[in-house]
Amino acid sequence: MIEIINSGPGRPGDLAASIQDLGRPGFERFGVPDGGAADWFSAAVANRLVGNRRDAALVEFTGMGASLLFHQDATIALAGASISGVHSFEGDPVWQSHRVAARQMVGFRKLDPGVRVYLAVRGGIDVPIVLGSRSLCERGHFGGGFGRRLRHGDALPIGDLIEDAPRTRPWPLGHRPAPWGPWEVRLIAGPHSDAFPPDALDRLTAVAALVTPFIDRVGLRIETPGLHLQGKEILTTPVTAGSVQVTPSGELIALLVDHPTTGGYPVIGTVIRADLPLLAQARPGDTIRFRAVDEAEAARALRRLEDWLEDH
Amino acid sequence: VLSLEQVLISSRPRGLLETLPAYASLLCNFDPTIASFTGLAEAIRRFEGKLQPVRLSGETVEIATRYDGEDLANVAAATGLSRKAVIDLHTARDYLVYCVGFAPGFPYCGELDDRLSVPRRASPRSNVIAGSVAIAGRQTGIYPVASPGGWNIIGHTDVPLFDVKATPPARFKPGDRLRFVPG
Repeated sequence: MIEIINSGPGRPGDLAASIQDLGRPGFERFGVPDGGAADWFSAAVANRLVGNRRDAALVEFTGMGASLLFHQDATIALAGASISGVHSFEGDPVWQSHRVAARQMVGFRKLDPGVRVYLAVRGGIDVPIVLGSRSLCERGHFGGGFGRRLRHGDALPIGDLIEDAPRTRPWPLGHRPAPWGPWEVRLIAGPHSDAFPPDALDRLTAVAALVTPFIDRVGLRIETPGLHLQGKEILTTPVTAGSVQVTPSGELIALLVDHPTTGGYPVIGTVIRADLPLLAQARPGDTIRFRAVDEAEAARALRRLEDWLEDH
Repeated sequence: VLSLEQVLISSRPRGLLETLPAYASLLCNFDPTIASFTGLAEAIRRFEGKLQPVRLSGETVEIATRYDGEDLANVAAATGLSRKAVIDLHTARDYLVYCVGFAPGFPYCGELDDRLSVPRRASPRSNVIAGSVAIAGRQTGIYPVASPGGWNIIGHTDVPLFDVKATPPARFKPGDRLRFVPG
């Protein structure tokens, strides 16, 4: 069992941390978002490093850290954002596995660069499966063990979703996504290209877009200084993680895993699955350059990440 | 939209994972390692012009509603109707569930009587309680779980709309019909 210790002053209430896994596809028609780890690739790496099955649940930390008190021996791994204010880790804490002894406390304070870091424990976090997943659905107040974000004192049981031996070596540098911006994020045009002037996507891909402070698991608000995009109104339509909506004020909303299943703003482009991890790690103030690609390139990019996961 | 979804569900093109209908669009999630976009798009387009309209056979579900919403007076003022007229118009017809979205179990229903059409609130509420019956434009809906929301709340219901232990978890699905009854 792992106990969450909300250390440090000035942090009332819930941590920006939750239990996530691969998400719960299949329930969008009931208004339930897929959810799951926002940076699916880093989460998969963390599970791989400890030898877990890919569907094992882990802890997603967003923006800030916490301390964890281990009540049993365990093997853990971190992947995703860089962390600082670390205690009880030897060597580089992220992108490799570590042994932790019973009654040991490990933790970190800040995440930067990047926004999200995943902590996998060998065996996975064993909380009940709700609608096919252990992920927290914050909008629905269910899943994630507690139906909410994690808090001081929460006890996380360890499961047995083990596939093979833990990796002792760090995850290769060449097989990690770009650790910081400016980010090149690839997207496929549409589906609502008709709602925009013909040159809108060209103009979008020509500018440096700026991530605003409004980022969460639902999506990122993104500004395009010097460019005012204007789309026509559309009928409420299904949206997906990666949909880039254009609001009436010309701001962009790039949706992430906890997006509402439908939306009313026109979608100028859809970020490819291979680049969702970059969106999930973009910080306020980071710049994003969008690049338009076709479906074949999107499939190749995804294959590349999957190959990295299979190689190790 | 619903006819296309039904033929896709029964014919299961290779690589298609999930479909999600809305008013005039259907999202098709697919596995790009199994099917290519162009191949799957072609498979779906084969049904173009060959669809039979779906028979919506389901019964109409009654939603007992207390018309005590926070925005009822505002809606009456904005439409120039009395509170009673707002309630009468809202309960006068059956509504079709066009899609379920926004939040788990939230049914987007229509079409509302034109005379009830009011825009969303200028600034959304940060917390709308579960069971709130609301209207916006030509749409009406019910907030199944506590959430932020920008629609005009005209009433409340105790009918449970979302339960993770139920199968399916949402009370309504696209194509269902409902009617609000005062009480």
